[in-house]
Amino acid sequence: MRSKLKQMWTDKTLYFMLLPGLLYFIIFHVWPIIGMKLAFYDFRIMGNNVFVGLKYFRELFSTPIFTQVIANTLIISAMKMFLIFPIPIIFALMLNEFMNGKFRKTVQVVSYLPHFLSWVVIAGIWFEFLSKSTGAVNALIQLFGFPAHDFLTDKDSIRWVLVASEAWRNIGWDSIIFLAAILGINQSLYEAAYVDGASRWHIVTRVVLPHLYVPMVTIFILNVGFIMNAGLDQVLNFTNDSVNSQIDIIDTYVYRVGLINGQYSFATAANLFKSAIGVTLVLSTHFISKKLTSKGAW
Amino acid sequence: MVGRKITVPKLLIGAILSVLTLTMFVPIMNLFAKAFSSPDKVRLIHGYDIWPKGFSLVHFQVVFSNPLIGRALLNSLFITIVGTCISVFFTTITAYVLTRKNLVGKTPLMIFLIIIMIFEPGIVQEYMVIKDLHLLDSLWAMVIYRTINVFYLIIMMRFIEEIPESLMEAAKIDGAGHMRTFTSIVLPLAKVPLLTISMFYVVARWNEFFKSSIFLSSRENTVLQVLLRQFIVEGDTSALVGSANLLKNNNIAQLDFSALKAATIVIAMVPILLLYPIILKHFAKGVMEGGVKE
Repeated sequence: MRSKLKQMWTDKTLYFMLLPGLLYFIIFHVWPIIGMKLAFYDFRIMGNNVFVGLKYFRELFSTPIFTQVIANTLIISAMKMFLIFPIPIIFALMLNEFMNGKFRKTVQVVSYLPHFLSWVVIAGIWFEFLSKSTGAVNALIQLFGFPAHDFLTDKDSIRWVLVASEAWRNIGWDSIIFLAAILGINQSLYEAAYVDGASRWHIVTRVVLPHLYVPMVTIFILNVGFIMNAGLDQVLNFTNDSVNSQIDIIDTYVYRVGLINGQYSFATAANLFKSAIGVTLVLSTHFISKKLTSKGAW
Repeated sequence: MVGRKITVPKLLIGAILSVLTLTMFVPIMNLFAKAFSSPDKVRLIHGYDIWPKGFSLVHFQVVFSNPLIGRALLNSLFITIVGTCISVFFTTITAYVLTRKNLVGKTPLMIFLIIIMIFEPGIVQEYMVIKDLHLLDSLWAMVIYRTINVFYLIIMMRFIEEIPESLMEAAKIDGAGHMRTFTSIVLPLAKVPLLTISMFYVVARWNEFFKSSIFLSSRENTVLQVLLRQFIVEGDTSALVGSANLLKNNNIAQLDFSALKAATIVIAMVPILLLYPIILKHFAKGVMEGGVKE
């Protein structure tokens, strides 16, 4: 104990250097976490908040909209998870068929770009892209003799727009990790396979794919951990009155109820519910990932 | 390499990749084409056009003649530049402390960081903190509320751990304190990760719109992404209409709002595009190296 104190005294400059960081974490992370106790209190602008126990949680679960919002969150997350997951892998495998030439470089440079654009900008691009009168997509549809369709205001298609725009934004970027794994494969394995007379298809399925197993499992499991996050920024930019019921997720609900309607306690309860499930999922998937691949999230 | 001749499957794969790439390239270029076209020819631009018709800068002139947009652009630049400098400095200095071997309390600090990383308190609580700090409607709220990103802090820590301990020892023997070791050994050696996390911070701060729209309420404190959201998502083009009328009085042909929107989007994209070569070089490399190590 004494030696520890002595060590701390010698390192006082270190603690001084740590101070701003620590202060930041306490103010912007610990303080709001403590603030979540508001879910169990009645918020008062004047005077002290009154403890009400689980009142707001009971209210939350008897609100039909909240059930709908949870369902939307899970549906959109699951659609993104299962439909988008294989695309970066296939993209990396296809890209690997081309050597480090101009074609490969161009495809890479262009496909990574959307990842760095804000959802506002992407919404701007997609609104033009899908526009009923002037958009390229509808021009193509009409070319094949189908009637033009307004994807952004149609309840049946809006979730697909979310999935497609998410894929559009991230396939290139997400493929990097698989490309890295492919580059890490020992060249002699390829050569041995060629000597044994393997076709290109056999090489992909028997040599390359097995090497992608570990990143595939890790990334899939991590995705499961974040299933409660269906994409706040994206939904905020793609929503409109006619489709809101289909894509209203927990995050947008908390924002609307809490900050726009000022029902702070109720919104905090909704958020606490979401965070609790999120933490449970992240922790459990972390341990599953450690078991399966010996790699966790941290 | 063996077996890399052109075959039918390869042509097919090339075609698929080309189409995918075009779906990203064409819509982005199409915006540029619209923004740079002359006002009377904008209507001739189809969704698949990538070259402007009758080059002109009028749309940009109109956008910049609106004082609100100039103001928002300056605010965005302020938040991005000042915010990134502060973020990078405090992330690095915290990473340095947390990588010191004999630091008393290192394990509890790391557990603390992991808890912070996975537990999200949510927007209502964040709003209340900013309110309690009296930072609502202040650009500083946007600068400091995300000073340290735990993921980037860990990236920085991994890098600093790789600096040979003997260098630090030598500095210590020469009488350098921790502050001195940090500024004259860690900072100069950490150029690559410094650039990498700077790019991360720049992109995140420049693209942030949600928190800005909550924390910054007055018009003069608005940022470019929020204004852009008003034009695009909420369809509120009143700010643009004002300046368009101004030009109409000067006998300039009627302006197309989609072209004005395109010009604003182009302005919002320019910093990312300017930094894109650096981003590509360092991000992709960082992600790939991380991937290989995992």
